[in-house]
Amino acid sequence: MTATDLADVEYVVRTLAQTAVDQEKEFGDLDAVVGDGDLGYSLARGFEKVLADWDNFKRDDVATFLQQVAVAISSRIGGTSGPLWGTAFLRASMTAKSHDTIDGAAAVAMLRAATDGIKARGNADLGDKTLLDALVPATDELERQIQSGSDAAEARAAFAKTARECADATSKLEAKRGRASYSGERSIGSPDAGAVAVAIIIERVVSEWPNR
Amino acid sequence: MKKFVNDPQQFVPEMLEGLALANPDTLKYVPEYNLIMRADGPDENKVSIVQGSGSGHEPAHVMIVGKGMLDAACPGDVFAAPPFDYVYETTKMLASPKGVLLLVNNYTGDKMVFEMAQEMSSADGVNVKTLFINDDVSVEDSTYTIGRRGVAGNFFVIKAVAAAAERGADLDEVIRIGEKVNSVTRTMGVALTACTPPAKGSPLFELGDDEIEMGVGIHGEPGRRRAKMMPANEIVEELLTPVVKDLPFGDGDRVALMVNGLGGTPISELYLLYGQAHKRLAEQGITVGRSYVGEYCTSLDMAGASITLVKLDDEIEGLLNDPAEIPIRVF
Repeated sequence: MTATDLADVEYVVRTLAQTAVDQEKEFGDLDAVVGDGDLGYSLARGFEKVLADWDNFKRDDVATFLQQVAVAISSRIGGTSGPLWGTAFLRASMTAKSHDTIDGAAAVAMLRAATDGIKARGNADLGDKTLLDALVPATDELERQIQSGSDAAEARAAFAKTARECADATSKLEAKRGRASYSGERSIGSPDAGAVAVAIIIERVVSEWPNR
Repeated sequence: MKKFVNDPQQFVPEMLEGLALANPDTLKYVPEYNLIMRADGPDENKVSIVQGSGSGHEPAHVMIVGKGMLDAACPGDVFAAPPFDYVYETTKMLASPKGVLLLVNNYTGDKMVFEMAQEMSSADGVNVKTLFINDDVSVEDSTYTIGRRGVAGNFFVIKAVAAAAERGADLDEVIRIGEKVNSVTRTMGVALTACTPPAKGSPLFELGDDEIEMGVGIHGEPGRRRAKMMPANEIVEELLTPVVKDLPFGDGDRVALMVNGLGGTPISELYLLYGQAHKRLAEQGITVGRSYVGEYCTSLDMAGASITLVKLDDEIEGLLNDPAEIPIRVF
C-alpha cells in the first residue's frame, strides 16, 4: 500500500460523508415519497459521526481506516441503514487487506465485497429496488472499463453515468425490501431513494476527483 | 396515561441504574453501553451467554442476568434494537476463551445489528456465534420480521444454553442445545389492551374496550385476528390449539407449559389460564412436566398473556432443572 492509496480512499470516504451531510434534506424528501422519510436523517447522523471522528481514525493501512469508518457509521445510524452501510465498509476493509495496492481492480473488488455484504445483511438482491440496483451495475461498468483498457478518467465517468441511469431506472421497479416495500405497487413510478443517493454521491466523488 | 417516569429519554438508563443498585453483589452496570452483566463475569471457563433486544419486555432480559442464566444483557431503547456499538462493545467485554453466544429474537433490526457485531468482533479475533429464536406460531412475516417472531419461548432457550455453558459445554455444543430447544418450543399470545411506551405517552395501537388481538406480537404487532372479548376458557382454546398443532405436540408427550403475563394482567388471571391449559393438555394425553406461571417476557403494560409449550426430553428437562440465580426468580 502507498500513501497515495490511503489518500485516495480518504478522499472517497470524506466526499461520501460530506455529501450525505450536505444532502440530508434532499435524501429525506426522496425517501418520503414511498419510504418512511428517514434516509436523509439516518445517513446524515451516521456520516456526521464519521466526520467528527475523522482525525482520530487509525491510519495504519486502508483496511484499518475503513474498519473504523464501519464502526463509526453503524454506531450512530438507527434502523437498518447502520448495519447495512457498516457491513459495506467492513467488507470493503476486509477485501483491502488482500490487496497490496488500491488500484482500479482493487476498487472493483472492494465495491463488490461491499455490495455482497449489503445483499447478505439485508437479505436483498438485484431488482428489489434498493441501492444495489445502482451500485452493482455501476461496479460492473467500472470493471468493464478497466478491463477494456480505458483510462482512469474515462472509467470513472462511465461509473457515474451508469449509477445515475440505473438509479433513475429503479422507478420501474416495485419495492421488495425495507419500509418502502410496505407501499408495494405504489412504489412504482418513483425511483429508490437509496439508489438515487448512491448516484448523487458517486457523481460528486467523480466530478471532484481531479481536485482531490 | 399515568406512568412513573422523569425524562422519557432516560427511562431505560434509570431502570438499569435501579436494577444495578438493587443487586450490587451480583450485577454490574456499564452505562455507556446499556450493559448489565454478571459482577463476576466474564468467566473464562465457560461460554458467555448474551441476549440483546429492545427494552420494554422486562424481566427479559436485563433481569435474568445471573449465575445459570445470562452472563449479560444488552438492551436498546423501548422496543428498539440496541445500537451496533453497544452490541460490539458488549461482545468484546464478554469475550471468553470458550466463546460468546449472542441470543437474538428474530426481528429484522436486531438481526442485522447482532450479525454485524458478530462479524466485526470475529474480525477482531473473538470466538462468537449468533442464535436466532422464533417460537411465535401466530404469523409468518410481520411488521418487523421476516419469518416468525421470537417471543416468551426464548426463556427456555436461554435457560438451557446457560445451564449447558455452566456445565462446561463448548460453543458448538451450546449452539446445538439452543437450536434443539428452539425447534421444540412454540408460543402464541393475546392482547386485551394495547401498551403505552413511556416516550410516546399514548397507546401504541387502538384496541376497542370489547376487543382482543389474537396472536399479538410483543411490540403490539398485529396477530391473526381481532376478536370480540370472550370467556377465558375460549381464549385458552384459541391460543393452545395452534400451538399444539404446530409442532405438533401429541399423546404421550411431556412438556413444559408457560403462561406468561404481558405486563398488565394480574397473576391470579394467569393461574386461571394455566389451570385450563393444563387440563386441556391432559385431555390430549400431554403431560406437563414443568410449569411456569408469571411474567417472563412482557410488552410494557399490555394486559394479555401468551402460552408456550416446550417438548421435553431428558436432556432438555435436566438443563431446565439446573440451578440459577437471577434478580426476579430463584429456581
